[in-house]
Amino acid sequence: MKKWMTWLFAFLLIFPALTWGNSEATAETNDEDLFRVGMEAGYPPFNWTQQTDKNGAVPIDGQKEYAGGYDVEIARKVAEGLGKKLVIVKISWDGLAPALTSGKIDAIIAGMSPTEERKKAIDFSEAYHHAELVMMVKKGSPFEEARSLADFEGAKITGQLGTLHYDAIDQIPGVQKELAMDDFPAMRVALESGVIDGYVSENVEGLTARKINPNFVMVQFDEGKGFELSEADSTVAIGLRKGSPLTEPINEVLGNISREQREEIMATAIEQQPGAEDDATGGFFFWVKKIVEENGVMFLRGAGMTLLISLIGTVLGTAIGMAIGMFRTIPTPKKAGKRGLFNFLNTLFSIYIEVFRGTPMIVQSMVIYYGAAQAFGININRTIAAIIIVSINTGAYMTEIVRGGIFAVDKGQFEAAQAIGMTHYQTMRHIVVPQVIRNILPATGNEFVINIKDTSVLNVIAVSELFFQAKTVSGANFRFFETFSVVCVIYFVMTFAVTQILRRIEKKLDGPGHYEPYGNQMQVQKPETID
Amino acid sequence: MEKMIEIKDLHKDFGKNHILKGVNLTIHRGEVVTIIGSSGSGKSTLLRCINMLEEPTSGDILFKGDSILSDEYSLSQLRTHLGMVFQQFNLFENKNALQNCVIGQVQVLKRSQKEAEKIAMDNLCKVGMGEFQNASPKQLSGGQKQRVAIARALSMNPDCLLFDEPTSALDPEMVGEVLKTIRELAAEGLTMVVVTHEMGFAKDVSDRVVFMDQGVIAEENTPEEIFNHPKELRTKEFLKRILEQH
Ligand SMILES: Nc1ncnc2c1ncn2[C@@H]1O[C@H](COP(=O)(O)OP(=O)(O)OP(=O)(O)O)[C@@H](O)[C@H]1O
Ligand SMILES: [Mg+2]
Repeated sequence: MKKWMTWLFAFLLIFPALTWGNSEATAETNDEDLFRVGMEAGYPPFNWTQQTDKNGAVPIDGQKEYAGGYDVEIARKVAEGLGKKLVIVKISWDGLAPALTSGKIDAIIAGMSPTEERKKAIDFSEAYHHAELVMMVKKGSPFEEARSLADFEGAKITGQLGTLHYDAIDQIPGVQKELAMDDFPAMRVALESGVIDGYVSENVEGLTARKINPNFVMVQFDEGKGFELSEADSTVAIGLRKGSPLTEPINEVLGNISREQREEIMATAIEQQPGAEDDATGGFFFWVKKIVEENGVMFLRGAGMTLLISLIGTVLGTAIGMAIGMFRTIPTPKKAGKRGLFNFLNTLFSIYIEVFRGTPMIVQSMVIYYGAAQAFGININRTIAAIIIVSINTGAYMTEIVRGGIFAVDKGQFEAAQAIGMTHYQTMRHIVVPQVIRNILPATGNEFVINIKDTSVLNVIAVSELFFQAKTVSGANFRFFETFSVVCVIYFVMTFAVTQILRRIEKKLDGPGHYEPYGNQMQVQKPETID
Repeated sequence: MEKMIEIKDLHKDFGKNHILKGVNLTIHRGEVVTIIGSSGSGKSTLLRCINMLEEPTSGDILFKGDSILSDEYSLSQLRTHLGMVFQQFNLFENKNALQNCVIGQVQVLKRSQKEAEKIAMDNLCKVGMGEFQNASPKQLSGGQKQRVAIARALSMNPDCLLFDEPTSALDPEMVGEVLKTIRELAAEGLTMVVVTHEMGFAKDVSDRVVFMDQGVIAEENTPEEIFNHPKELRTKEFLKRILEQH
């Protein structure tokens, strides 16, 4: 690692340690008995989140929810084979690889295909699932008994828009390629009504479709007579750290799970996946009601996490901003030694502000949470890490806002305090700070609202805030519009409430514009207000 | 008479600008001295040097015989003895009238809250602002603010009050109430240095009038002499200009 990067890391680490001082390593580090597996828990039937431990779902680390699915079953078998205890860590897709390389997790079992691109950063085990392209046809149609691509000559076939399924149709000789369709429900309707003779799908989807509509038949091709797929596209494997000692034993375990067993596990997963029993009919409000009923608690937990992080983050960030802002009002000391330290700190603060204002929070999260673990082996509790990140990020902005707030305090206020003998500290504490707080209140509220929205990037470090929960739910029910509408309302309620509360506080601090002197009003003149 | 403030050959530069060019002035206990002079002549700068809001470039200032420029001299102490009333009032915006008068007593003089409140209330009543103890500065008119500012300065029990154009920022109808307050203080025998453009007030209230021009004291005498028989040509010209304006 380059020297300056080491310094940057050191700075990023020392700073939170100074401002927080509570960065103890959690028990999840380097525990030899644990097999920590990362997944999104939002990609059924491979992995999903559920509210109970029904069907043997595994508790998600640090949360009240459970993970189930094909990946979880495979992970369970692997953990058993390794003789370790399984821990499921829920991390968004983008955070999986960094979590693995930084040692936060031991393996990725998340329906991940071993592409060339990914192989550069991490190793993969043998495949634990083979995607197989199949053809869905109607029961009783002439294609029901088909065993090879050649049998579909002249058939009207379609596939999902923009997928390799649709492209693969070209491999069928003499086929009548129909227009691509948007989603599986549309294709199922088309097949049912006889508009098409079949659509290309994967065995996983095929099993699901066959379950929903017993009129459908899934055509699997004989060896060498079906669609040709590259290995990277068609297999799913376990992601492991480069040179991980786990690769060998894991491959051994996987080798002992037969193809039939895997298909059975997949079939079970498909059966148990959330929403599998739902029909796709029902309007917007039906789904909204259903989502609220089934996932309301989960959303509220996510919203709670979002509020917790953004509230503490905003408060601490404002404190940081205040501290630095106040430090900068101290007159330059006359003694050379003190002045050196003073200038050094000032430079440090400037770097801090520039660095954190100049980089996205998602990048800072990666650097602080994963980078720290990778470079120095320092492990921080996720929620605390999130709070630190939001705090120092907010602090960088608040420092500038506080500077403006101090600037807005009339110079006469300092002089008047000085003139009655108050010290710099007394002046700051009793006269300036209260006025600065009033001045920066609107901007602070703004930061708070921004933080509520921006915490959504923290799912890369496995913090289950509201947005991540929403992604999980919509990944399971495929009701993106309805799910995010619900979440949108929750976000709005939070930000609106915060804005209103702050407005109240502002009003209260400002007091009424007129003063009614007590006592007999006939005798006193009424004050006039000049502005 | 006991010497309260002695200013000796005081110079003050702002960068290359030479603003005070050797000022000598003595203020005795119980005296009311007004400083007049055209804009930019250095009146405010002189006043601000006396309580060290500006640091003199050279020369010396003695307060009750001790040099306030020596390193051992406590500025905080000095400032509790010298009250200052500003042209722009400078009431603490985050505090009401009473708290404005209390904060310095408690923080600097270490008086108890209760004692400080009583003294503050006495002084607010003295300037006729007792009814407004709970009013915040922005609820007050200019004249009322300035009277509270005077009560704030008085609450520190200063030996001397410094006024820098206390009525210049006021609407004409409010000038009277502030000048009346200052007159009453003068009558009580409080030592005061007042920079002002109110010639009538200067004539009535002062024991001595100091005319400043271009960074030096051009003339210094009793009000009768200065206003009726000015000796210096520039004093005459200044007074003529002022009279023409009114
Ligand atoms: N902090 C400062 N920095 C630089 N120049 C200053 C500063 N304060 C005052 N001056 C300059 O010093 C000169 C004298 O200013 P001062 O305020 O003492 O005049 P004054 O006699 O009080 O005038 P006025 O009647 O307008 O208040 C002016 O030219 C002003 O520009
Ligand atoms: Mg002036």
